[in-house]
Amino acid sequence: MTEHHDRSSIDLEKELTRYMIERRVSRRYLLERIALVGGAAALAPVIAACSTGGGSAAPSAAATPAGSAPGASSAPSSASPAPAASPEGELNILNWTDYLADEVISSFEDLHGTKVTQSFFSTTDEMYAKLGDDGGDYDISFPISVDVPNMIEKGTLAKLDKSVLTNIGNLGSEWQDPGYDPGNTYTVPYMWWTTGVGYDPARLKGETPASSKALWDPRWAQHISMLDDWQEVFGLTLIQLGYDANTTDTKQLDEALALLEQQKPLVRTYSTDTIGTMTSGDIWIGHIWGADRFAIQETIPDFAYYIPEEGGIKGNDTIATFTGSPHPVAAQLFINHVLDAQNSAQNTNLIYYMGPNEAAKEFIDPAILEDPTINPSADIVAKLQELLALDQGVRDEYLSRWQELRG
Amino acid sequence: MPAGPGVLARVRGASLLAPGVGWLVLFFVVPLAFIFVVSLGSRDALDRVTLANPSLENYVRAFEPRFIPTFLNSLRYAAITTILSLALGYPIAYWISRYGGRRKILLLIIVMLPFWTSYLIRTYSWVILLRDNGVVNSILQAVGIIDQPIILMNTDISVILGMVYGFLPFAILPLFVSIDRLDPTIVAAARDLYADGRRAFLHVTLPLTMPGIIAAALLTFIPALGDFVTPDLLGGPQTTTIAKNIQELFLAGRDWPYGAALGFILMAVTLVGTLVALRTLRREVVGGD
Repeated sequence: MTEHHDRSSIDLEKELTRYMIERRVSRRYLLERIALVGGAAALAPVIAACSTGGGSAAPSAAATPAGSAPGASSAPSSASPAPAASPEGELNILNWTDYLADEVISSFEDLHGTKVTQSFFSTTDEMYAKLGDDGGDYDISFPISVDVPNMIEKGTLAKLDKSVLTNIGNLGSEWQDPGYDPGNTYTVPYMWWTTGVGYDPARLKGETPASSKALWDPRWAQHISMLDDWQEVFGLTLIQLGYDANTTDTKQLDEALALLEQQKPLVRTYSTDTIGTMTSGDIWIGHIWGADRFAIQETIPDFAYYIPEEGGIKGNDTIATFTGSPHPVAAQLFINHVLDAQNSAQNTNLIYYMGPNEAAKEFIDPAILEDPTINPSADIVAKLQELLALDQGVRDEYLSRWQELRG
Repeated sequence: MPAGPGVLARVRGASLLAPGVGWLVLFFVVPLAFIFVVSLGSRDALDRVTLANPSLENYVRAFEPRFIPTFLNSLRYAAITTILSLALGYPIAYWISRYGGRRKILLLIIVMLPFWTSYLIRTYSWVILLRDNGVVNSILQAVGIIDQPIILMNTDISVILGMVYGFLPFAILPLFVSIDRLDPTIVAAARDLYADGRRAFLHVTLPLTMPGIIAAALLTFIPALGDFVTPDLLGGPQTTTIAKNIQELFLAGRDWPYGAALGFILMAVTLVGTLVALRTLRREVVGGD
């Protein structure tokens, strides 16, 4: 990598790289940023030294290990594992770049004498394609919570062995029985995030909005952006109206649509490229994925993010193993290893996302714990709602209204 | 009755066609047939396509009013893009052909040069030009033409600019071929018969290069009709196109049969348009002499 780019060319290069990666995304695109953004925020000095930045580093890093198919090496050990608890000599993880702390992996290798091989993906579509119907050659990966019910139904996910998961009690009580996987039968939550509102304080002339209604403020007309994501947009609007973000009541949906139709003339763009739109200067206040703020702050240091006082959207991914896993014993042990309080904290300290691990909090960097946008207070958390995988018919009701709005 | 060509010759002739026909079948007919079959199906509970009860219901649903504005947007953008590409492309092609001299090839390479860069990057560069504090607004403000930035990004203007920019080379190349093949002595003959420059152009050059114009129009209109990347990158709340709707039905809606039906209709509209244009073309060529 070249040492001395000037600032603008770095930005351009990063923006363009990011653009190419992200164009096909929906809300899942959020996680793609973890490698780029979470990593960038945590490793700012490294990025500064290595000036092409997270944008180009991630794909190139992903390319090499993904090419060295772990399947070949795992073939011998896949011969019917004994039901006994002795872990296999290998473990194959399919992961985002920089999404597990190196210490967590090396301590697992030392503990169980198991060699961990990581392969990487850069979009969730790529992850699901590589996993196929039974996980393929992989033992561990990170499905998004909304996709979990479908994967359970298809028989992709293997049940967790609770006798191995001795650390599962470390999960906060609100994570013990998630809607997408009751009782954490197949998955364990890994990291969570929020969607809310971000703004450039300099543009809002000293205003400090707290409600999502600020996105309907005519004073910011033509400088407001909304995510190009039907579920996030309806979720935010439904919560503002005091309804469930996953409502199945079409009257409530009609109300939300009417509210969004009112907003539309004020909206400059519906876009998932919030980093691009916010830093372009065209958008002063926008509906954004919380994690994007780190990247925006590289350009606008004062950039502010808040979870609307009416309530916001939270999402999470999970860590799971698969019915076709070549190393099932090691996989279960690894999930337990990640649930360990210190290990969980190490992961959070790397990627700047809160995990669901209550016991981990004492080991987490205070700067992260004290940031209300990463670690919101209990009363705000209580108001967060999860976007669920909607039934087909309900989803169609949302999508048809979304297309009516966008038409 | 004149004797037809021998069997051997006919086989040889057909074998020459094979690569082209094979290509068309593999990459056009088969996918199209696949889309059509899917469009007759429906979804099971897990959103998988099932052909258990084939019906035309998706085609009925395709005429829901929500798709009208986006379809009209697509038509409008494609039409404006085509007209502007022809209007800009014709003089350029004409100039390269008539005045390019020994540098013709170099000039054509320059026309193609943008293709060396990804379309996404080239399109995204327009953002840098058109945003509120972008190059265009900065210049206009510096010169004193405007006080406040004018909104260029996320409008029809930015979408059409981006599309014309993207599709212009597709118009220039066929126009160039057609203009370059035109025998200059025919134009000279028109001038000898007392046609002034304008009339010679309107009555000789333009009709004789009509095949190039129609080819250029097709090569611009067809991809422009299905474009959703440009409106998505450069557009705003009002610039949604039918292709974007189709993409949403596939990905967000996970309703492949419905998306396939809309896609097939779009394809049919394109195909009919192409056939009409090609018939016109034949009439121009055959009926011209």
